[in-house]
Amino acid sequence: MSEKSADAACLRRLRPLARRELRLAMAAALLGGVAIVAQAWLVATILHAGLIEHRAADTLATPFALLALVVLLRAATAYAADRLGFSAAMRVVPALRKSLLAKLDRAGPAGVAERPSGEIVAVIADGARGVEPFFSRYLPAVTQAVVIPLGILAVVAPLDWLSALVFVVTAPLIPFFMVLIGKGAEALNQRQWRHLQRMSGHVLDAIQGLPTLRAYNAGRRMVRAVAETADGYRRETMAVLRLAFLSALTLEFFATVSIALVAVLVGFRLLWGETTYQHGLFVLLLAPEFYLPLRAMGTAYHARMEALGAAERLVAFENLPDLARPATATEASHATTGDAPGSAGVALRFCDVGLVFPGGRRALDGVEFEVAAGETLAIVGASGAGKSSLLALLMGFVVPTAGKILIDGVAMEEIDLAALRRRIAYIPQRPRLFAGSVADNIALGDPAPDRARILRAARAAAIAERIAALPHAFDTMVGDGGHALSGGEVQRLGLARAFYRDAPLVLLDEPTAHLDAETEALVQKSLGLLRPGRTMLTIAHRLATLQHADRVLVMEAGRVAEIGPEAALRAAGGRFDALFRTALDGADADGDGAA
Amino acid sequence: MSVFLRLLALMRPQAGWMALAVLLAALSALAHVALMATAGWFVTAMALAGVAGATMNYFTPSAMIRAFAIVRIAGRYAERVIGHEATLRFVAGLRPWLFARLERSAPANLETLRDGDLLARLRADIDRLEQAFLRVVAPLVAALLVAVPALLWIAAYDGRIAALAAALLGLAGLALPLALQRRSAAAARRLASGTAALNAHLVEEVEGLAELAIYDPDGIHRQRTLAASDALVADENLLARAAALDGAGMLLAAHGQLIAALLLGLSAVAAGTLAPADLPMLALLGLALFDAVGAVPAALRAVPAVLAAATRVFALADRPPAIRDPADPAPLPATTGLVLDKVSFAYPGAPHDTLGGITLTLPPGRRVAVVGPSGSGKSTLALLAMRFVPPRAGGLSLGGVAYERLTGEAVRERIALVGQHDHLFGASIRDNLLVGDPLADEARLREACRIAQILPLIEALPDGLDTFVGAHGAKLSGGEVRRLLVARALVARRPILILDEPTEGLDVATEARLLDALLDEVLPGNVLRGDAKPGGTKPGGSLPGDVRPGDALLGGAQPSGAQPGGTLSGGANPGGSQPGGTLDGDARPEGSGARALLLLTHRPARLARMDEIVRLEAGRVVARREPHGPRSRRAEPAGPTP
Repeated sequence: MSEKSADAACLRRLRPLARRELRLAMAAALLGGVAIVAQAWLVATILHAGLIEHRAADTLATPFALLALVVLLRAATAYAADRLGFSAAMRVVPALRKSLLAKLDRAGPAGVAERPSGEIVAVIADGARGVEPFFSRYLPAVTQAVVIPLGILAVVAPLDWLSALVFVVTAPLIPFFMVLIGKGAEALNQRQWRHLQRMSGHVLDAIQGLPTLRAYNAGRRMVRAVAETADGYRRETMAVLRLAFLSALTLEFFATVSIALVAVLVGFRLLWGETTYQHGLFVLLLAPEFYLPLRAMGTAYHARMEALGAAERLVAFENLPDLARPATATEASHATTGDAPGSAGVALRFCDVGLVFPGGRRALDGVEFEVAAGETLAIVGASGAGKSSLLALLMGFVVPTAGKILIDGVAMEEIDLAALRRRIAYIPQRPRLFAGSVADNIALGDPAPDRARILRAARAAAIAERIAALPHAFDTMVGDGGHALSGGEVQRLGLARAFYRDAPLVLLDEPTAHLDAETEALVQKSLGLLRPGRTMLTIAHRLATLQHADRVLVMEAGRVAEIGPEAALRAAGGRFDALFRTALDGADADGDGAA
Repeated sequence: MSVFLRLLALMRPQAGWMALAVLLAALSALAHVALMATAGWFVTAMALAGVAGATMNYFTPSAMIRAFAIVRIAGRYAERVIGHEATLRFVAGLRPWLFARLERSAPANLETLRDGDLLARLRADIDRLEQAFLRVVAPLVAALLVAVPALLWIAAYDGRIAALAAALLGLAGLALPLALQRRSAAAARRLASGTAALNAHLVEEVEGLAELAIYDPDGIHRQRTLAASDALVADENLLARAAALDGAGMLLAAHGQLIAALLLGLSAVAAGTLAPADLPMLALLGLALFDAVGAVPAALRAVPAVLAAATRVFALADRPPAIRDPADPAPLPATTGLVLDKVSFAYPGAPHDTLGGITLTLPPGRRVAVVGPSGSGKSTLALLAMRFVPPRAGGLSLGGVAYERLTGEAVRERIALVGQHDHLFGASIRDNLLVGDPLADEARLREACRIAQILPLIEALPDGLDTFVGAHGAKLSGGEVRRLLVARALVARRPILILDEPTEGLDVATEARLLDALLDEVLPGNVLRGDAKPGGTKPGGSLPGDVRPGDALLGGAQPSGAQPGGTLSGGANPGGSQPGGTLDGDARPEGSGARALLLLTHRPARLARMDEIVRLEAGRVVARREPHGPRSRRAEPAGPTP
C-alpha cells in the first residue's frame, strides 16, 4: 500500500509544474457549468413561452439569441478545458523528461549499471508520457465532477426541492458504491492490467525468440502455448471484468433511475399544477447534465490507473542510488579543453581510497598507489577485483567513501568536475557511436569541430583510409540508422576520439578485448602513438596490452595486490605470475590463428 | 480497403460475439435516446394536461420510462461484458495466427525485428489490432444502428428537423473529423518517426552515458535529446488539438441542432403540423442522439492508425518462407554426416556472394573450427547448415541425403546451433533449457549446465534452475547468457553441434574451460579416452576422423584402434554411401549426445584440439589445416589441460 501511495505522491509532486493551466482549466469548467445551467433555463423558457403561453417563435428573438450565445460559450469552454488539460500535460512531460535525464547523470554509469538500457529508455520516453493522461484527462474530469454537479444542485434546490433531493441522495451513492465495489475491483483490475502488459510482453518475447524456437523445432509447441495463454487469460480476465463492470453498472443504474425518477416526479407535479412547466423542464434538462461528469469520471479513472502504473516506474528509477559526483555549478569555458600538447600528463595519487556501494558491496579497500606524470600503468585482476572502479573514480562516476585522490597534488573534489573531465580521454571496451557524421563522432562534444584536427586524429588512429573509402568520407552518417561499421572500425573511431580530445589523462578499458588479431595490432600501434606526453591507465586482459605499460598494478578483491614493472612481477612469482599463467595466457599461448 | 476487409475476415470467427456486442451497444444507446425523448414528451403532456385541467393516461409513458431505464442499464452492462469477451476471443485467435505465420518464415525474415524500434512498433501494432473492434468497429457500427432509427423517428414527426439533424450529424460526426484528420495527418505520421528519434537519442544518452560525460561536458547531445522530446510533444499537441476541436464541433452541432429544432418546431406547432408535446420530445431526442454517437470522431481518428498497423502486421505475416519443405520428403537419415559441397550463398539484393564455393565435411566424431573475422560469412554458414536459407549454388547433405529432399525440421532434428543472436526467453533458467527438449529431466539439465560451465553459478542462486533470467536474460551477464545458450543446445542432444562464437563475453580462462569441456564431454570417444578404455564401452563413443558414421554410431561395437581414418583427408563422402546406419536414427546417445562439432569463431582459442581448422575470409576458404594429421593425432595428447 505504501508503494502505491509513493506512486500517487509522485504524481502529486508534478502538479505544481502546471498549476496555472490546471487553475485555468478549473475556471473554464466553472464557466462551462454556468453555460449548461443557462442553456437549460433558456430552452425551458422558450418551450414554456411557445407551448404553454402559445407565443410565436419570432417573438422569442432575445432568448433564441441568448441561447445561441450560450451554446457558443459552452463549446468554447469545453474546448478550453480540454486544451488546458493537455497544456498542463505539455508542461509536465518535458520537465519530467529533463529531470529524469538529470537523475541519469546523478546516478552515473555505475548507478545504472545493473539496469538494462532499454528499461531506462522506456522510463524516460514512455514513463514520462504515461503520466500525461493524469493531467490531460483525469484532473480536468475530477474538477468537472466536483464543480458541475454542485453548481446544478445549487440552482435546482430553490426551484424544486424534491428533484434536488433525488440528486442529493443518489449523487453521493455513486462514489460510495463505486468505492465499495471499486476497492476490490480496482485491485483486481490493476493486477489484470499488469498481467495484460506482461502478456503482450510475453508474445513479443516469443516472436523475438522465433528463430531460436524454430532451430529447436519448438515453434509449433509455442503456437499452442501462445493460444493457451491467451485463452486462459481471456477466461481469467472475464471473471474479473464481470465484477469490475459492476461499478459502472452501479453508476449507470443511479444515473438512469434518477433521470427517470425526476421525469416522473416532475410530470406528476405538473399534472397536479404544483410547479410550472418552465421549472419542471429546466430540472429535467439538467438531470442528465448532473450525472454526465460523474459518468465521465468513471472513464477518467482508467487514465489515473495508467498514470499510476507509469509513476511506479518513475519512482523506481528515481530510487536508484546517486553514485556520480554531483556537477559543480560553475560553467567552465571551452578554452580549458586539454592541456597544451607536449605537457607531461598528470600525476595521480590514490591515498587509502575505499569505495563501498550503497548495497554494502565493498569495491575498493585501502587502495594506495601513485602514477607519475607521463607514466603508463596497466591494471590487471580478476573480474570484480576493482579495476573498473579505479577508472570510474577518476572520471567522477563514483566518489570514494574513504580516502582521497590527488591529481597533480590537488584533492580531486576541489577540482571543477567539468574542467576535470575535459582533461580526460576515455576509451571503453566498446566505444559508442552517436547518430551523426564520422567527423561529429571524432570531435564528440566539440561545438566548433576542427577539420584538420579530425583528420590528424583519424590518421593517428589508423582509420583515415577506411573513412576516406566511405560513401561520404568524413561526412558519412554513422550510428543508429547510419552506415554500419565493424567492431574494429568503431574501436579505432573511439581511439581517434581520444586523439582529438588531446587530453593529458587517458583511461582505457581493455581496448582490444573484442578485436581480431590484425585489428588488435593496429590499435596497439596507435596506442603507442598516444602515449607520449600523457598519463595512461589501462585495464588489461591481454598480454599485448601489458607490453606498453611502464608498470602493472595487480588488483585483488578491491585491494592492491602488487605493483611494479611486468618483468619484475613475473620474476617475483606472486599474484601477477599466477594470474599470468591462468587468465592472461589462455588464448595467446594456445592459438596463433589458423592462417 | 482490402486491408480493412482482411482485418474483418480475421474477426470472423468471433462475428457472433461481436454482432451481439454491437447490437447490445446500439440497444442500450437507443434505450437512452428513447428514455430522454419519452421523458420530454411525458413532462410536457403532463404540464399541458395540468394547465387544461384534463386527465391523461400516465401509466403507459411512466411504464415506458421505467422499461427504457432498465434496458439502458442492463444493456450497458451486457454490452461491456460481451464486447470484452469478443475482443479477448479475437486476441486469443489473432496471436497464435500471427505467431504461426511468423514462425514459417523465421529466422531469415525476422532479422529486422532485432531492431528495438521495429519491435516496439510491432508491439504497438498488435495492441492496435487487438483494440480495433472495441475502439473502432463497435462504436462506428453501433452509431449507425442508433442514428438511423433515431433519425427516422424524428422524420416521422418532422422531416425538416430530421434532415437538419442528419446534416449536422454528418458535418460534426464525419466531415469535421475527416477534415481535421487530413490536416493533422502529417503530425500523426511524424509521431512514429518522432518517437523513434527520441528513443534513439535516449538510447545514446543511456548507453553512451560515460562517454558523453567525458567528451560532452557542455551537454550538446543533451540539448538535442530535449529538442527531440519537444518536437514529439509539439506533434502530440497538434493531434490533441484536433481531438479537442472534434469534441467542440460535436457539441456545437448537437446544440445547434437543438436551436434549429426549437425554431422549426415552434412554427410547426403554431401551424398545427406538430403536437405541442412532441416538440420537447424531438428536442431531447436529438440531444440524446448526438450524445450516443459522441464516440464516432475518436473511432474515426483511430482508423488510419489501425489500417497502418494492419498493413505492417500483414506484410510481416505474408513474408514467404525462405525455404519450402519438399512435398514428398525423404525419411530422417539414419546417419548424420554433414557435407557442404561447393556451397555459395548471396543475400537477396546483395551484389556479391556472402559465401563462395565452401566445401566442408563434418562426419561424426570430427571437430572442425572455422576461423575468420566478423563478416567473413561464418553465421551464414550456420544458417545454411540449419536449412534456414537455401544455397545459391552447390549443395548440402545430411547422412548422404540432399537437403532438398529433407524437411527443415528433419535437419534440425540432427543439428543444434548456438547462434550469435539466440534468444533467452523472459522465463526461468529451466524453461529456457527445456526449449531444447521439453522432455529433458532434471539430471540432463544439470549435466548440460555442468558441461557449459554454468552449473556452479546456477547452484549458487537461491532459486537454482527456477531463477528468472529477466527479459532477454537481462539479469545475467553476457558470458552467463552465452553459457546458458550452450547448455540449451546440449539439452537438445543433437548429434551435430554448431557453435557460433560461443565464448563471446567470456574471460579467457572460462573460455578455455568451456571449450575444453565441450571437446572432452561432447565427444567422449576422443582418442585419449578411447585408448584408456579399449573397446569403448561408452555408447556413442566415436573416433575422430572416423569416416564411417555407421561405425561411429555403433560406438562400442568397434574396437577403438581400428580405422585410422586416412580416407578423410581425401574428402570422401562421409555420409550416405554407407548403408550400415544400423542404429535407429532416432536413438539418442547418453550424455550431451553430440558426436560432431563445428566451431565458428574469430578467436583462435583451443585450436590445437581441433581435427581441422578452416580459415575463412570474405566468404572464401583461404587456408585449411589439420593441427595433427590422423597419424600424429593418435600419438599426442589432445591438448593441454589447465
